[in-house]
Amino acid sequence: MKVEIRLTGALHREILEDLARRHPFAAERVGFACGRVGSLVDRGILVLLNRYHSISDDQYLEDRTVGARIGRDAITWAMQAVYHGRPAHEGIFHVHLHDHRGATGMSPVDGREIPKLMPGFQSVGREAVHGMIILSRDHGAGWVWLPGHLEAVTAGRISVIGKPVGIFEQETGP
Amino acid sequence: MSAGRFARQSFLGTDSQERIARCTVGVAGGGGGGSHVIQQLAHIGFQRYVVYDGDVVEDSNLNRLVGAKTVDAAAETPKLHIAKMMIYGLQARARVQGFAGRWQDNPEPLRECRIVFGCVDSYQGRYELEVACRRYLMHYIDIGMDVHGENPPVIGGQIVLSSPGGPCMRCMGFLTDEKLAEEAARYGKAGARPQVVWPNGVLASTAVGLAVDLVTDWTRRPLTHEYLVYDGNTGEVKRSLTLRKFEFRGCPHFPDGEVGDPVAVEL
Repeated sequence: MKVEIRLTGALHREILEDLARRHPFAAERVGFACGRVGSLVDRGILVLLNRYHSISDDQYLEDRTVGARIGRDAITWAMQAVYHGRPAHEGIFHVHLHDHRGATGMSPVDGREIPKLMPGFQSVGREAVHGMIILSRDHGAGWVWLPGHLEAVTAGRISVIGKPVGIFEQETGP
Repeated sequence: MSAGRFARQSFLGTDSQERIARCTVGVAGGGGGGSHVIQQLAHIGFQRYVVYDGDVVEDSNLNRLVGAKTVDAAAETPKLHIAKMMIYGLQARARVQGFAGRWQDNPEPLRECRIVFGCVDSYQGRYELEVACRRYLMHYIDIGMDVHGENPPVIGGQIVLSSPGGPCMRCMGFLTDEKLAEEAARYGKAGARPQVVWPNGVLASTAVGLAVDLVTDWTRRPLTHEYLVYDGNTGEVKRSLTLRKFEFRGCPHFPDGEVGDPVAVEL
C-alpha cells in the first residue's frame, strides 16, 4: 500500500527547530504532530500533517536508558488531542530527530518503545491514522498505523512542500 | 540519460536533477499555456507527470498549441496525446499519468503532485484547483492570459503562486467574488477568447521558472507566494500592485487545519 506523509515547509522548519533545542537532561526531544488523511489511487493513503505540539522541558522524565522519555502530562495531551480530533479523523504522530544528515530509520529503542503508544491512540481515535516520524536534518522516515491494524506500514516517502521541495524517499531493497 | 545532458543547468545545484526527477508535477489543461509548460518541464528533466486534458486538437488551436501539427487537427488528435509525445520524446523513461478529461472527475492522481500548474480558462476552474492544492498540500501555479479592448487591443496575463500556508489567490487580490460572480452569470463559459502563442510562452516560462526555484532553491530567496502581471503590449512582467503593501497575517480562506478528505459529521 502506498503511504506518503506530507507537511508544509513552515511546519517542517518549526518541528526541526523545536527538536534541535538542547534539553536540560534528556539526550533528545520529542513532539507530536497532528494529521488528517487524504485518499490516493489504489487505496493509497496521504497523511497531511497540519500542526505540531512541542513538549515542555518539565514533561520529560530522567531515564538514561533511552534518548528521551516523556511523562504522563505529555501523553495525556496527546490522548486529548486524539479525542478532540475524532470528528475530523485526525490522528497523532510521535516525532523525534536523529541529529545527522541523510537517510534515517528506527533505532532498536525506537522500535521497542514508540509503538507501545499506538494502541492507546487507536483506542481513542479508532478511525484516524496514527504513527511515528523520525527526521534527520535533511531526510526522514515514517510509519503509520491504519485503523484497526496492529502492525505499522512504512511510509514510502515524506514530502515537504516548501522551498526547496523536500522528498524523502525510503530506499527499497533489490 | 547522459550526464552531459543537463550540464548547462548544473548551476541549479549539485543534486538538482535528482530533486527535479523525484518531484511529481501536475498540469491541468494541455492547451495553449499547458503545452508550453509541459515542453519546458520535459526539457528540464522532470520525470513524473500527471496531466489532464479532455480536448482534441482543432484548427483553431494550431496558432499556439506547442507540439501539435497540421495533421493533428485533421486527425482530431487528443491534446493529451500531444502532451505525452512531447514528454516521452524528451524523457523516454518518464512516468506519465494522463487523463483525457477533467481533473475533477478523477482527482486522486492529482494529489500525488507536489506542484500543480493550472492552465485553465475559468476563474472557477482556478479556484477549484487551488482548493484541491490547499487540502492536499501542493504548490499551485496559475497562468492565464486575455486580450481585451480594441484601440489597440491589450494583452494581459498573470502568473500566481499559491502555496499551502501562504496567502491564497484571494488574499493576493487575484480572485475576487466579483470575478467569480460575473463568470457565473455567463454560465461559467469563458467563450472563445483570443489566444496567441507568445504571451503563453512568457507566462509558461515564468511559471516553470518559479517551479524550478521551488524544487531546487537555486536562488536561495524566500518564496511563499507570488503574483506577477504580464503586459503583453510592452512585454513587461511585474509584481502585482496588490502585493506592494501586502502584509500577510494568515490566510482566512484556507485555515491551516483544513486538510485531507472532507469528513461528514453527524448532526
